[in-house]
Amino acid sequence: MLVSALNIVINGLLLGGLYALVAMGLNLQYGVARVLNIAHGEFIMLGAFITWAMYTKFGINPLLSIVIVGPIVFIIGFIIQRTLFTSLRTSAPSQPAFEGSSMLASFGLLFIIQNVALIIWGGDMRAYSYYNFGINLGGAVFAANRLIALIFAVVIGIAFYIFLVRTRIGKAIRAAAEDPTTAGIMGVNINLVLALCFGLGAVMAGLAGVFLSMCFPIYPVMGLEYLIITLIVVVLGGLGSIPGSFIGGFILGLIGSAVSSWQPSLALAAYYFIFMLLLIIRPKGILGK
Amino acid sequence: MRNKSIMFMVSLLLVLVLMALSLFVACPAPAKDKIVVGMSRPLSGPLAIIGDSAFRPIYETWVPMVNADGGIYMSKYGKYLPIELKIYDDKSDVGTMTRLTEKLILEDKVDFLWPACGTSFVFGQAPIANKYGYVLVTAEGGATTIKEALPSLPYLFVSLSFSDWYEVPVLAGILAEQGVKTAYVVYIADLHGIEYSGVFGIELPKKGIQIVGNVSVPPDLKDFAPVITDAMNSGADAFLCEGYPDQVLPAMGTSIALGYNPKVWLGGPGANFGFFHTAFGPAVEGVTCWAVANRKTSPAMKEMYDLLYEGKPEDVHDWWGHPLYWASLDIWKAAVEKVGSTDQDALREVLATTKLDTVLGPTWFTMFGDGGGLMAYESHTGEVGQWINGELEVVGYTGIEETLPNYKATADFVYPKPLWPAPAE
Repeated sequence: MLVSALNIVINGLLLGGLYALVAMGLNLQYGVARVLNIAHGEFIMLGAFITWAMYTKFGINPLLSIVIVGPIVFIIGFIIQRTLFTSLRTSAPSQPAFEGSSMLASFGLLFIIQNVALIIWGGDMRAYSYYNFGINLGGAVFAANRLIALIFAVVIGIAFYIFLVRTRIGKAIRAAAEDPTTAGIMGVNINLVLALCFGLGAVMAGLAGVFLSMCFPIYPVMGLEYLIITLIVVVLGGLGSIPGSFIGGFILGLIGSAVSSWQPSLALAAYYFIFMLLLIIRPKGILGK
Repeated sequence: MRNKSIMFMVSLLLVLVLMALSLFVACPAPAKDKIVVGMSRPLSGPLAIIGDSAFRPIYETWVPMVNADGGIYMSKYGKYLPIELKIYDDKSDVGTMTRLTEKLILEDKVDFLWPACGTSFVFGQAPIANKYGYVLVTAEGGATTIKEALPSLPYLFVSLSFSDWYEVPVLAGILAEQGVKTAYVVYIADLHGIEYSGVFGIELPKKGIQIVGNVSVPPDLKDFAPVITDAMNSGADAFLCEGYPDQVLPAMGTSIALGYNPKVWLGGPGANFGFFHTAFGPAVEGVTCWAVANRKTSPAMKEMYDLLYEGKPEDVHDWWGHPLYWASLDIWKAAVEKVGSTDQDALREVLATTKLDTVLGPTWFTMFGDGGGLMAYESHTGEVGQWINGELEVVGYTGIEETLPNYKATADFVYPKPLWPAPAE
């Protein structure tokens, strides 16, 4: 019984760490740049495929891929924000109009990135073995690669939160999230901050992709699947709340693990149940304002 | 004077009409210089992942090969005609596929129709082909439910093997011969998984194998640890995971990580692909899956695989579907050449009644009344495979040839499967 409970908790945390990382990225993009980026999952896919390609073609350690994937997806995200979304923002008659058009544009982005990936890597499913052996903790056995993924996800998540809270750029980002107009008047370069946010959000997704590729098979159309879970995590944690997403990821991971251990076919149903429950009881999420 | 002029005009008109008629009668039918084959395929969207690795590499290799020999001999025209493909992207959408299929038939007036991708697409496309009298020999897609539809779809010919046609009966025979007593079944919660779970439930007990666990998993389940732990606790001899690669690969990874080593580990569809081997390396040793052939099956099969996979990475290998898709084109070509024209009714008649040579050997369709047919399971060269020494071998049980005359086991089944290798890192 104790071992089963331990299994549920550990497996939940392992999966939750990855959800948290992806959700923090999406929340940053929506909370500051006000872009509900439907193509967010595609950055997970890009991170995963770059890591897979580096590992299988050149033998580069997946953990080292972090320093390759991070800059690549950051630049892509930064450019997309500075071109596509900045143009939409300046031409939109109102904030709601911008949010609507940017969401539609991100749908287009999803298909573009997905199809480019299909052309480059083909449609096959990919996977590789990296630290895929069991670790026994108090009788509960779990995969070493997932523990590595959890540790890195937690470290990156905390480091990112400290960056937002303690650094000057982090303060500018938070100011822009609160009131972009006033932040602009106070000297914050809004366009730069928004592009930074979008780029950093893409980095979080890309890095999650690095860790996901270590633990799960990957394929060019995987992004949308993860996006749905991410959206639930974001709503659970609270729209615009980075710590909320971090906590929400772990909560959803634990719920998923508990339900899976009882009845695997109900795991996703449980996610949606939580989602609907939240919308009724606490629509602003756990830490939403 | 006036009458003369009228007579002249009438005569002139008659001459002109006669000239026009003679021109019309004398003018030969436009010379046919190619056979146009139409297809609606998922070139983009979620099904592109399947289409690109399943039927697409087959037709992209097979058509140039046939055209290099001049094409298909059409006796009506007295010459070989090359095949020209007309392919539209259905974006993985059934509705789009049905519209494109009608466009191919009605607007483009293609000579022949080749299949869309996937079981649900077969269900969408077959009635259209049937309505316009176009023969449809399918590639990807096969299910027990198709059998129920076949009597009303006389132009439909299904090529792919599936659960009770005749994979699971062969698996049950193999497991029984090895002394397997218990099995734990994991299946994806969709039509495919439910079908296999049901057929396992019928065929395994027939051979005295008790199912001690029967768990459905949703298509997007990420964490297989609870399922694998439950299977481990069941102590079953055989672990049968019937999903798609999305389920088979994580189930395999989790089994290795948790040290779950049942005597039989089956993953299908998923373990039959080359990318399964490249993903797990030596850990695939002893893993069982659905498979139809390998290079050892026959010289014809070796030639096909060499042509198909030459210069391509192992990732694209498929030891289950590819030989059957290739055979579906072979039998279609043989039937068209026998008919010698684009006559669809004659083509249907040949396919329904004639045993023709394909890469599998003698191949024919089992017909369902006056309806369509399934490629006879007696034509199959294999149903079950196992990774042995890094190769996917076709395995069987003693005396299988009595039921399946084309069946060619290329190795003996390894039981129990070797333990997962010790971690390298």
